[in-house]
Amino acid sequence: MKLHSKTILGLFVLMALMLPLAASGNKFFAFVLGMTFISLLWATGMNLMYGYVGLMPLMFAGVAGVAGYAMVHFTRTLGWSFWLAMPVASLLAAAVGVALGLPSLRLKGFYFTLCSLVIQTVLTLAFIFFPTYTNGDTGINQVAPPDWFGGELTGLGMDMMLAVVAVAGVLFCAWLVKTPLGQRFVAIREDDVLAEGLGIQVVRCKIIAFFIVSLYAGIGGCFYAAYVGFISPRAYDVLVSMNIWLFVAFGGRATIAGPIIGTAILAPIPFLLQDLQAFKDILSGVLIIVVTLMMPGGIYGAYVAWRSRQAHVASDGDKVQEQRV
Amino acid sequence: MKLLDVNGLSKSFGGVAALRQVEGHSVVGETLGMIGPNGSGKTTFVNIVSGHVRPDMGSLTFDGIDIAGKNPHQLAAIGLCRTYQAVRVFSSLSTQQNIDNARLLLSHRGLDQAELSELLDWLKLDHVLGKSAGSLTLFEQRRLELLMRLVLKPKLIMLDEPVGGLAVTEVIEMIQLLKQLKARCSIFVIEHTMRVIKELADRVMVLIAGEKVADGPPLDILKNKRVVDEYLGAQHA
Repeated sequence: MKLHSKTILGLFVLMALMLPLAASGNKFFAFVLGMTFISLLWATGMNLMYGYVGLMPLMFAGVAGVAGYAMVHFTRTLGWSFWLAMPVASLLAAAVGVALGLPSLRLKGFYFTLCSLVIQTVLTLAFIFFPTYTNGDTGINQVAPPDWFGGELTGLGMDMMLAVVAVAGVLFCAWLVKTPLGQRFVAIREDDVLAEGLGIQVVRCKIIAFFIVSLYAGIGGCFYAAYVGFISPRAYDVLVSMNIWLFVAFGGRATIAGPIIGTAILAPIPFLLQDLQAFKDILSGVLIIVVTLMMPGGIYGAYVAWRSRQAHVASDGDKVQEQRV
Repeated sequence: MKLLDVNGLSKSFGGVAALRQVEGHSVVGETLGMIGPNGSGKTTFVNIVSGHVRPDMGSLTFDGIDIAGKNPHQLAAIGLCRTYQAVRVFSSLSTQQNIDNARLLLSHRGLDQAELSELLDWLKLDHVLGKSAGSLTLFEQRRLELLMRLVLKPKLIMLDEPVGGLAVTEVIEMIQLLKQLKARCSIFVIEHTMRVIKELADRVMVLIAGEKVADGPPLDILKNKRVVDEYLGAQHA
């Protein structure tokens, strides 16, 4: 069983690293692929919080925005290299994420989500009302791609970089959820009062989770800015948070495969349906409803449930046969 | 030697006094029972001692340590843990995962596999390790709760109505298990039936309307006029 899931993970890594090569002939597909990798990194972070800790952080995109704007400020105004600005900006975003998360630490479920929505709204407003750093509603265009040994990291090189970052994010998450910390996250998700009673430091674990998840958001936010070349408050607004949440919920929360499946299916859609702007929003609205009503476990969750039903049927069959013998 | 020592404990919820100046103590190795009618403040008492609720007034000492204001996880770490009136397990996780979660606190300092097997054997849970805890019977869930506390190597377990909801035959079995539990750690047990307390407790505290009205061996409590008049009723005397 263990070998099985490791094999699948290995196949995913191999495929993710090959895809940029395959798509490198077509600029459009290469771009959609790059965006999908950024989305995958984000979805993996969202999954850690939504799937494993059991909280739905709608301020996710806002935290990514903090990192994106900070990275642009560091590289443009201060002249830093992207490779210094990106980690510093992401750490800053993580600190902001933790600080903003503190008031909502005692909340859970719907109330946490509501609080995170307020935080996201405040962040979006901050992006508009601090034009010194963000250029307000207009946004910042011509964000330079990452520097790379004297030149710039663009084209296939950048797509490979995004693939590597996304794969690293997935592997880190897959490792983390197997550690005692990941086990504590699940215990908190299932019953935080009981977890606390069994000696699990719920508040501390949640703070650590906030930090890690905000790092995911921040790193993605930096690469997004450098990849797309244009950022505005819209790039980091609540719809983005909702979309990332949908990738996780659609694919299957609290599994490693779920967000990969969800992102691979849903992330490219807006680009492929670019001419049908209105239809795109309707589609994602319909999907949210379908997922919440019909597939609470997402695609992968539904598959796992189906497989265990099959196994049950099989073992019941065995029992019946045993009795006959 | 005193294990738990409580003095002048008071708590009110929005003007309603749940506990008034309650004092009491338990001794190492002792099983201390607490009885009282519904709403008399028994669960509030456990909630305060186990760190889930902050008292308005009063001092709390456990094993010589001042525990006022400590969180449940800190108390679990020094050997004070509790179960809940409504059974509480990680119901969508397997029995094994439930136990693993309880083992996180002590990790390598905790139980070794032999000790765990002995507990599983004693509580007859070894055959349900792979099942999800939510699919277990109430009695199995109650036993799992006990096991999850015992892996914390507690000095004192506080049990909030451990036989609540169980069938008559299960109640008898549970009382047997709890009698055997006395050899493993000190116990504080809440019940609202005197029958269970009489069998288990070395000493009983009686709470009525947030006040301690009696404290003594079960047989003395049964003769206490105030307790009989206000709570137990004449048929017990």
